[in-house]
Amino acid sequence: MSTNTFPADRIITYPPPIEEAVQHIESLLSAEYTVHRRAIALLLLQHDEEIEGMVRRREGEERFARIAEQIREAQLHFQQPLAVVLLAHRQRVAQEIAREVLHTPSRSGSSFAEWLGRVCMQPLTGIPILLLVLYYGLYQFVGVFGGGTLVDLLENRLFGEVINPFLSHWVKALVPFMPIQELLIGEYGIFTLGITYAVALILPIVGTFFLMFSILEDSGYFPRLAMLIDRLFKKIGLNGRAVIPMVLGFGCDTMATMVTRILETPRERLIATFLLALAIPCSAQLGVIMALLASHPGALAIWAGTLVSVFLLIGWLTARVLPGTPATFHIEIPPMRLPILSNVLIKTYARMHWYFREVFPLFIVASVLIWLGQITGLFDLALRALAPAMLLLGLPDDAASAFLFGFFRRDYGAAGLYHLQENGVLSGRQLLVSAITLTLFLPCVAQFLMMKKERGLKTALAMSAIIFPFAIAVGAVMNWILQTIGVNL
Amino acid sequence: MSDSQSAPKSRQRSVARVVLVGNPNVGKSVLFNRLTGRYVTVSNYPGTTVEIARGQAVIGGQNCEVLDTPGMYSLTPITEEERVARALLLRERPDVVVHVVDAKNLNRMLALTLQLLEAGLPVILLLNMMDEAERLHLHIDHHALAKKLGIPVIPASLISGRGVEELRSIVNEYLSSGQDYHLPAPD
Repeated sequence: MSTNTFPADRIITYPPPIEEAVQHIESLLSAEYTVHRRAIALLLLQHDEEIEGMVRRREGEERFARIAEQIREAQLHFQQPLAVVLLAHRQRVAQEIAREVLHTPSRSGSSFAEWLGRVCMQPLTGIPILLLVLYYGLYQFVGVFGGGTLVDLLENRLFGEVINPFLSHWVKALVPFMPIQELLIGEYGIFTLGITYAVALILPIVGTFFLMFSILEDSGYFPRLAMLIDRLFKKIGLNGRAVIPMVLGFGCDTMATMVTRILETPRERLIATFLLALAIPCSAQLGVIMALLASHPGALAIWAGTLVSVFLLIGWLTARVLPGTPATFHIEIPPMRLPILSNVLIKTYARMHWYFREVFPLFIVASVLIWLGQITGLFDLALRALAPAMLLLGLPDDAASAFLFGFFRRDYGAAGLYHLQENGVLSGRQLLVSAITLTLFLPCVAQFLMMKKERGLKTALAMSAIIFPFAIAVGAVMNWILQTIGVNL
Repeated sequence: MSDSQSAPKSRQRSVARVVLVGNPNVGKSVLFNRLTGRYVTVSNYPGTTVEIARGQAVIGGQNCEVLDTPGMYSLTPITEEERVARALLLRERPDVVVHVVDAKNLNRMLALTLQLLEAGLPVILLLNMMDEAERLHLHIDHHALAKKLGIPVIPASLISGRGVEELRSIVNEYLSSGQDYHLPAPD
């Protein structure tokens, strides 16, 4: 063999009883394997179920029984299970090697980054830091700047005063046919609604959100947040590890639903999936709602309070209903570091690119569907069907269209609300109630599909069947409370 | 590890397979991006990769398929994602396995290197985050480590691209020497 030899199969020599068993087992293995026999023997000694199954199939029951006998015999020499003995031995060898090649300096005073990393995790300092991050990062930057300043610039100035009037003029001049005009530049037209929403409303909001999210992510803040929230999460049957999908959910619930795989038990995965679908608003939605309620800080506070309560209450209830014990928490804490600009930009770009590719066609399709619905009268029928729900929520009939959009995507619905608010149709209370209800809805069709993929169709349907009535019920209750105590927002 | 997949002794695959493994959050996805030019979500945040990402790369004229795996702590899986990573390693006979570790936490991560070697996998050890280790005045004698383990050890800082070229040339060496590392003739 040339330069690359692998003496590796013998890099660790285990205690004699184990080595003997390994040798015996190796000689009993007669089938072909893709990895070293020694490795198979060692995994068998550690009671690896997958390997046991494979060896049993390939070697046959009789041979497997002889192997099992060897393992039993080896175990007799140790008090601890063989898996633990092997692990401990391997770790000892690793430590030894590390000690020989590592030269650690005597621990000097800790750096600022380490200090910052620590205070982010301690409740006394961590919670104020979290609030600062939420206020400046989310409220000021995404809500006020992205959703206010930028949207105003794009939607009202660029689209409202330049692009749409221009298009509208030319479409009217070139296409004499009324329904086609409607399709392109009508109230729900492809240009006037679909593209305007996507580019002028969602783009600046989602862009600022993803930028902030990427900065926080690259700094190493999120795992510390996980540590901070671990204790709270334990109460609702999850551990701090579940913070990862939850936090990712604020970016995109669909992606986060996939990431629930990192949770150890099916029970945790189920709870996390449900909470994501119900109570975690995704970036687009969060941004639009920030923008929507930025002018009513009181409403924003009540909205946040309601969602947190729903999250905790439902989490707690689900944990009661589902049997099982909470898993233990284990997370790597990477160092705090100054975010690297190129990283942040690439991440923001990748997320926006991905989001846009998914959302843009959908907005256009929605415009076309609504147009079809209007021509056939189905749209009005659906709006009328929603009227009782609107009444229950204390909303004007106009809001029904926003909710109808909301069935496509929550953010689309929220954008519809934004539009209504701009026209001054909704009062503060009505805004709040619709924002709460829409947030609790299932985010989008894509998330439903992901839930189906990860948890199965039955579970996904059951969750949806709970979520929709629940969302309307919470909205109705909030409306009733606010009306009864006469809060003016 | 299905039974249908028997192991051919000498396998002529036109596309070499390079698998990236390691604990969560050590920089596997960054390396993946560097090698393939494809973007997978990278975060300073453990557990973001939950599925195997596949990408193409050309290393020393050789077409390679690069696979990015979910993070694993050991070859004995606990979570679903670890199961995915292990199945890939044990079933798919990689031509090169790049074990990416956080140089700062070498002592905790070497156990997995040993386990990979024990499985007879053709491992290259990549010590990532050397910049951070150096900032902590941590010195790693990677020559001595390479000698001890009997495999190539590359100091790197993937975020800035350090170490990537060396890795490419060593992967190329592995591939062009064209040996079957996996199954030394049974005695």
